[in-house]
Amino acid sequence: MAAVAAAVVTPTRMELLRLRRRVGLAQRGHDLLREKMDALVIEFFEVLRRIRDARVGALKQLSVAYRALSTCSAAMGTIETQQASKEARHELEVEVSARYIMGIAVPTLEVEKVERSALARGYSLHTTSSLLDEASREFEKALGLLVELAELEESARAIARELEKTKRRVNALEYLVIPRLKATLKFIMMRLDEMERENFLRLKRIKAMLEARA
Amino acid sequence: MSYKVAVIGDIDTATGFALAGVSYTYVHADKDGTLAKLAEFMASEEIGLVLITHPIAEELGAEFRQVMRLKKLLPVILRIPDKTGYMPKVDELYELIKRAVGAEIVVRAEEG
Repeated sequence: MAAVAAAVVTPTRMELLRLRRRVGLAQRGHDLLREKMDALVIEFFEVLRRIRDARVGALKQLSVAYRALSTCSAAMGTIETQQASKEARHELEVEVSARYIMGIAVPTLEVEKVERSALARGYSLHTTSSLLDEASREFEKALGLLVELAELEESARAIARELEKTKRRVNALEYLVIPRLKATLKFIMMRLDEMERENFLRLKRIKAMLEARA
Repeated sequence: MSYKVAVIGDIDTATGFALAGVSYTYVHADKDGTLAKLAEFMASEEIGLVLITHPIAEELGAEFRQVMRLKKLLPVILRIPDKTGYMPKVDELYELIKRAVGAEIVVRAEEG
């Protein structure tokens, strides 16, 4: 590796100074990225912890909702239930905005009033059973929790992507760029020292020759 | 900004979420149709969240992962269990941790 770097570099004092500066810069970049990575890892695990809690709640609520829907289908008839679901108002909206963690955009999802009153749902009340209201309510609750979960999972994914990228950069600096620069630096230093010794020796020889002549 | 929600699932999932007020529901029939619908949802400007059930996501396989990889910030895709409660054995999130943090997967597996 050092040989490769040495072939293209001219062993001069200027080059040495330039390289020293570059090593310093690379080192500082490396330290900064390292810190960023540590901060991301902390953030990542925090999000993961929240996902774990949110997931349990959301999945439980979802299975409750499915059960309520099955009960409703059994009592009211599958076709009627599906019909009612088509009649229901479909105007739920989620508020999406971006949040920034360490410069990464992660979406935040928010949903207002998922849970509606039976009247607001839009299906005909006198032809449907109260079980349908029940099922709708459970699904609305589940949806609220799922929206939260979606936000968290998406954040985790975004952070993981960034983490991977940062890790790759840190490793590239640590194992490739910095060692290569240092090897070149060492090569130049050795070469300069060698030149100095040669020069010194040359002067000594000349001095000896001059003295011999005198 | 307000966005709509879409659901891709079996008939029961679609019915349930339609009752809860979700704007777009699509009942999965075959892979090509669902993929086309998914692409349509992804391209839509007004959809902010797509829910898709695990079995369908798994059936779509590589194409689905491709969509996940290439998608922009929005819409967010979330996989949910269907009424059978089916969850894939390999948690995609753990894969993510393994890739992102390397060896620390072990620590987490012990506490979770």
